[in-house]
Amino acid sequence: MPEGGGTLLTSLAGWLEWVEAFPSSAAVRESLNGYPALLSLHVISMCLFGGLVLMMDLRLVGIGNRGTPFRQLQRRLFPWQMVGMVISTITGLILVYGQPTRFSTNIFFLLKMVMILLASVNALAFHFSTYLSIDKWERSPVMPFGAKSAGVLSVVLWVGVIVTGRLIAYNWFEVR
Amino acid sequence: MLKPFFDWFQELPFSVMFRQSTWLFPMFDAVHLVALAIFAGAVLLVDLRLLGVGVKDRPIAAIFRDAQPWFIGSSAVLFVTGVSMLMGNGEKYYYSEFFWQKMIAVVIAFTLTFTLRRRVALAGEGRVRPIWLRATGLTSIGLWAFVVIWARLIGLV
Repeated sequence: MPEGGGTLLTSLAGWLEWVEAFPSSAAVRESLNGYPALLSLHVISMCLFGGLVLMMDLRLVGIGNRGTPFRQLQRRLFPWQMVGMVISTITGLILVYGQPTRFSTNIFFLLKMVMILLASVNALAFHFSTYLSIDKWERSPVMPFGAKSAGVLSVVLWVGVIVTGRLIAYNWFEVR
Repeated sequence: MLKPFFDWFQELPFSVMFRQSTWLFPMFDAVHLVALAIFAGAVLLVDLRLLGVGVKDRPIAAIFRDAQPWFIGSSAVLFVTGVSMLMGNGEKYYYSEFFWQKMIAVVIAFTLTFTLRRRVALAGEGRVRPIWLRATGLTSIGLWAFVVIWARLIGLV
């Protein structure tokens, strides 16, 4: 870190090193069975969350599950998507807790976090705009622009999350 | 028994290129995972419906037909990316017990999916008793979860 620049980043890095020294953090990264178990759960919950979000998105874009009205997919799949999201968030947080400085210096991890944020904003924006008028467009053969674009953005961002998530393991370069 | 085949497989020009490239394996790995998400979505849509906790508003057969193209498409991508990664590192997979156990589970799961599960889903709620619908959904979810977890373990152990 250059002199005089980024005091906030410096203190964040110091804070992460402090966390990494906790015995409980060391316990996570040194656990023989815990690490594979956490990663497995993370992938399984990704299948539940990502898989069902993508199935819903395909309907929004208008290229999949076209026989089912969007609202039925949304209402029935939402609880399962949330179960997946909660498990992947918890396992993800524990994995980061075990090696905070490894993740904070990994470009793919940082990109993944940005894309999760953008995907969440996209979902909320859709829910509080286009989705409010679903009565008008649900039965129409062509989805309105707001629905299609929210669907496309969601697919692109969640696919990006999966790809960058996988690439975290390949540390070609690190940000310092 | 299959060792000579694996040795031959990993010395093919594509395999050598795959192994020597820094980014080819990670890219295929990432595409494999994206295809897995779509695959899982298409499987779960039907299995949750079989269990009676999914999109209950529509008949099972209708959900199954809508999900089928995505199931087939993602299976094809999983196969191509999977075989490519196998070609690059034949030896590693040959000696991994998780790999072989995963492959056996994949064969069993696909066989059941294209026979029993397909017939049950297409026959639907009218002609199959609820207990058998649930048993089919649960078996499918269980087998594929095994495949996913074992796949994750290949890279770790």
